[in-house]
Amino acid sequence: MIESLFNPGSVAVVGASEVPLKWGTYIAGNILDGKFNGRFYPVNPNVPEVFGYKTYPSLLDIPEPVDLVFITTPSKTIMHILQDCIEKGITNIVMITSGFSETGKEGAMLENDIVALAQSRGLHIVGPNTMGIVNTHCSLYATGTITRPKPGGISIIAQSGNLGFQILEWARSQNIGISKFVGSGNEAVLKIEDYLEYYKSDSETKVILMYIEGIDDGKSFVEIAKNTSLKKPIIALKAGRTEIGSKAAASHTGALAGSYSVFKGAVQQTGIVMAESPKELLSLSAAFDSFPLPKGNRIGIVTLGGGWGVITADECVERGLLIPELPQSIIEELDKRLPPFWSRGNPVDLVGQPDFQIFKDAVELMVANDAFDVVIVLGIIGAKVFALRAAESILNLGKMEKSIYDDFMKSLRVLEKEFLDRLTELMAIYNKPIVTVSFSKSFEDETIHDCGGRFKCVIYDTPEEAVLCVAKMYNYYNYVTKRSMVYA
Amino acid sequence: MREILEQAIAKRQKALSEFDSKQLMKMAGIPVSRNYLAKSKEEAIEYAQKLGFPVVLKGCSDTLTHKTELGMVKLKLKTKKDVANAYDEIADKGIPLDGVLVQEWLDGDNREFVLGSIRDPQFGPCVMFGLGGVFTEALQDVSFRVAPITSIDAYEMMDELKTKKLLGAFRGSPAVDKEMLAGALVGLSELINTYEEIAEIDINPIIINGNKPVAVDALVILKQ
Repeated sequence: MIESLFNPGSVAVVGASEVPLKWGTYIAGNILDGKFNGRFYPVNPNVPEVFGYKTYPSLLDIPEPVDLVFITTPSKTIMHILQDCIEKGITNIVMITSGFSETGKEGAMLENDIVALAQSRGLHIVGPNTMGIVNTHCSLYATGTITRPKPGGISIIAQSGNLGFQILEWARSQNIGISKFVGSGNEAVLKIEDYLEYYKSDSETKVILMYIEGIDDGKSFVEIAKNTSLKKPIIALKAGRTEIGSKAAASHTGALAGSYSVFKGAVQQTGIVMAESPKELLSLSAAFDSFPLPKGNRIGIVTLGGGWGVITADECVERGLLIPELPQSIIEELDKRLPPFWSRGNPVDLVGQPDFQIFKDAVELMVANDAFDVVIVLGIIGAKVFALRAAESILNLGKMEKSIYDDFMKSLRVLEKEFLDRLTELMAIYNKPIVTVSFSKSFEDETIHDCGGRFKCVIYDTPEEAVLCVAKMYNYYNYVTKRSMVYA
Repeated sequence: MREILEQAIAKRQKALSEFDSKQLMKMAGIPVSRNYLAKSKEEAIEYAQKLGFPVVLKGCSDTLTHKTELGMVKLKLKTKKDVANAYDEIADKGIPLDGVLVQEWLDGDNREFVLGSIRDPQFGPCVMFGLGGVFTEALQDVSFRVAPITSIDAYEMMDELKTKKLLGAFRGSPAVDKEMLAGALVGLSELINTYEEIAEIDINPIIINGNKPVAVDALVILKQ
């Protein structure tokens, strides 16, 4: 089990340093500055201390037990350091060092030696040629490129270092919570399946996110992914989707079996949710991490403005979702609150009523009704921009006090926040997703509204992004329920 | 099944003949057209009468590919005389054959599908379902799964086709019996998963007779 690898009480960094532009400096600096909740031992025979910590000439000189070692020194030092690990009884190793199978024949031979040693001695090795690992729950930020997203429920496996960094950085900037991260590097010893298996059993992981370039053992991957999907969603992005020339085959079937078409089939079979772009990868992960799963495909739409409602309804239908008629009981209720010319249908157009109480009540009427499995709310969040711009003009023309403008802006922010708080409550009460799309998002607006409850609000930029997430969540729900009825 | 495969391997065949391929498919639970292997003209006529007219005659051998192009397929033969003439035409080509396949004529309704199996270098044995007939390779409307599959997977494969409407009631034809198709896919996946000797399988086309899918041709390619 590699649980101890992700949850070490003590770590050593071989090659730790303070000199800029060295991996040993980045890793040690990130671990310390990230305030790791455990003991830290720098190993470096050439300097007496690193960032105020006494160094040890070798792993064997550390007087305490070490749970996890990061190796950052050149590839020629590796075998010697691994022998030290074995002597000290260390089995968990993150090999940042590069210069192995990715560089050619000599490197590949060295990598084979590492694999043989790992297998005979039971070493768990991440990499080599990895950007590192993260476990936010013990504040272990041990990647070479530094970004520190907050703790949360999404765990990541990335087969590319820089894409992994981009995903983490995007999560940080959007305030999306991350649980674990691993850059799997060359996967000499630990493979994508091993990490998947660990995330499956890890109680802090709610959603698994993968960036895949290639899979060695497709059959074992399918087996593990299938079992994992029934427990928690896996969202994946695959590089190399275009056909790379299926080999000349004797049958029609062979000619049709491009590498991606078989991969796509395997993915469908395992219930993995495929993303088409890095952005979609995170927005899907955030959706699965934040919302209750939709238990059906009937969508109610509440909108400020008719055009958006129609566009969203089109998107829904194109993705296999339904837009049922508005129930009579809701029509009667809203007749009392809205001007007589309102649409009386789904989508419900709130015809520009600047009243947050009506917004809240309309959403509740929809989400509480058995006719709908999901409610999409368009343009209420972000609509403050209308009022603010108008006030700004008056301010600029010298007819409004700056303090009044500031108070107005603050009060609109409070109203929006209260609205999102209410949506979060409603999701918990009715166990249905309420998905919001912002009319206009400014830099300081949040993407995820988290008030500490069971669910969170994700605020999308566009209706198509929101609908895509709803459709893929519903497909996943279907995948799991069909199979749990059979295997339960 | 093992026997058919072992005999073919002993003879160093690269593939099974259509007759043997279909026998294997039938044992795996895939609905195939009824057919006999005739060794003489007289046998061909006898089998045709047994099946009922019209029938189809095809030259049958494990080395025979492009049967249609070689004029080795004679469709919709309605009388004993038609069968006798067709037999002679096929035999006169001078191509070595195991015999002549006498097959029942089935009315299709223009809907054709394809089932298949391959061994993927990454995922191992896989099954495929897709749109068959003349547009198979142009439209590439197919769905793959890693073997073995369950019946749930089989239904999802059918649902994945862009042309899945063809499986429903379509232009006067009834909805296709999906349960039979699902059974065929599961059977095919078990076949390729069990028998290491098989490299690829092509069942093209599957026609729709009434509402029943029936394989009217099949090819099993052996591992070399």
